[in-house]
Amino acid sequence: MTAPLVFEAVPLNSRTRTPFTLSVAVHQTVAVLGDEASGVDRLGAFALGLEAPPGGRVLVLDTDLATLSDRQRLAFRRRVGYLPAGDGLIQNLSLRDNIALPLRFGSTSSPRDIDGRVNVIVVAVRLGGAADRRPAQANEEECRRAALARAMAFDPMVLVLEQPFDGVTARAAAELLEIARGGETAEGARRTILIVGQEIPAVVQRRCDRLYRLTRAGSLELETV
Amino acid sequence: MARWLSLLGALARFSFGGARPATRLPRAGRDVVLRVTLNQIRFTAVHAIGLIVLLSGILSFLVISQAVRELGQIGATGLIGTLMVVAIVRELGPLITALAIVGRSGTAIAAELATNTVMGEVRALEGMGIDPRQYLVLPRFMGAMASLFSLLILFDVVAITAGFAAAAFNGMTGSRYAEIVLRSLSARDVWLTVAKALALGLIVGIVPSYFGLSVRRVATEVPVAVSRATVASIVGVFLCSALFVLLS
Repeated sequence: MTAPLVFEAVPLNSRTRTPFTLSVAVHQTVAVLGDEASGVDRLGAFALGLEAPPGGRVLVLDTDLATLSDRQRLAFRRRVGYLPAGDGLIQNLSLRDNIALPLRFGSTSSPRDIDGRVNVIVVAVRLGGAADRRPAQANEEECRRAALARAMAFDPMVLVLEQPFDGVTARAAAELLEIARGGETAEGARRTILIVGQEIPAVVQRRCDRLYRLTRAGSLELETV
Repeated sequence: MARWLSLLGALARFSFGGARPATRLPRAGRDVVLRVTLNQIRFTAVHAIGLIVLLSGILSFLVISQAVRELGQIGATGLIGTLMVVAIVRELGPLITALAIVGRSGTAIAAELATNTVMGEVRALEGMGIDPRQYLVLPRFMGAMASLFSLLILFDVVAITAGFAAAAFNGMTGSRYAEIVLRSLSARDVWLTVAKALALGLIVGIVPSYFGLSVRRVATEVPVAVSRATVASIVGVFLCSALFVLLS
């Protein structure tokens, strides 16, 4: 099977000498870390087709999102789980309703089936009693759990996580990563995961199959994990 | 002029883009949109009842009081009906109701959507495969239309009742007042009021949503978006009223 997530010669910022090229193989957890000036924070948007790359191309599940219409792109995103930086939870909805939102708009399941699925996800991410709180009433860790649960609502095979562990303890970060991996197969994690951000806890680094550091000049340096 | 025309074109595309996703909503999505719409109606219509009753009552009472006195001196009290129907029910009612909603809810819609954008919620919705126009714009657009329509009916009822009180206060009998108002009121006035309510509701729902979602990701853009939304909505309301006068 070809890599589900491929960046081919994508320039991340105007200062980069080398365009960004990366292939995330199936069942792998890959982290790309770099400071803000490196342009690492744009990778998630490129992978989801939220921003068009200024050059090169991005293939997700063998599809070049730039060739899709707006409507097709929206539908395609349901196949990729996305946890945006800062969690992106809707503030006037409870955490439970936030998790249910993609299912309510993107599936033809009945409201009852959706509620059942959400209950299962809430238990899986160990959100417990916090599920009925709004983001402002929940703590950072609960919000991260809810945002991850929402990203996994459609049980996607590919997850793109932007700064997913900001504001949580190393222990909680490790637990969140295990939930995101979705269990183990003979080839590795059940899901293919791309983590982008500035830094991740050491315990999470050790669970990644590959960890790259992106320099300001745009070169990608493989780090031993 | 070119800037305004370009804005008009962008608003037309935005309105069409906001209405079209409504046809593609699954059942659970429709339930969510309905819930948000009802919430919008609660904030826009129910919470504005007091304001509309106050504005309508005072305006009608003052206008009819003055009219009974002044027109009575020249024996033209029969024109009070025309004044009530043409000036208050047909022209000022929709205008004042729309302006009140722009001030109360249009600004709130623009600020809310701009904040949603700045907080990354709109991007998150897109990332989940949800069209932000389905979840954010459609309910506000439908809520604003329904609210303006209901508040306009309330405005007219209160205006006619306050006019009755003003006429009685100035010595005119109730039956005379009712007779001249009803004589001036035609089915055309009713249809014009309905059409105006829908057109103004469209402006009040769409324009603030458009400006609210036009911010990028900087908090300082929020007040600018609210200000632009308010100005454009007020201009739109006046232009729309003028257009109805020209066409009717």
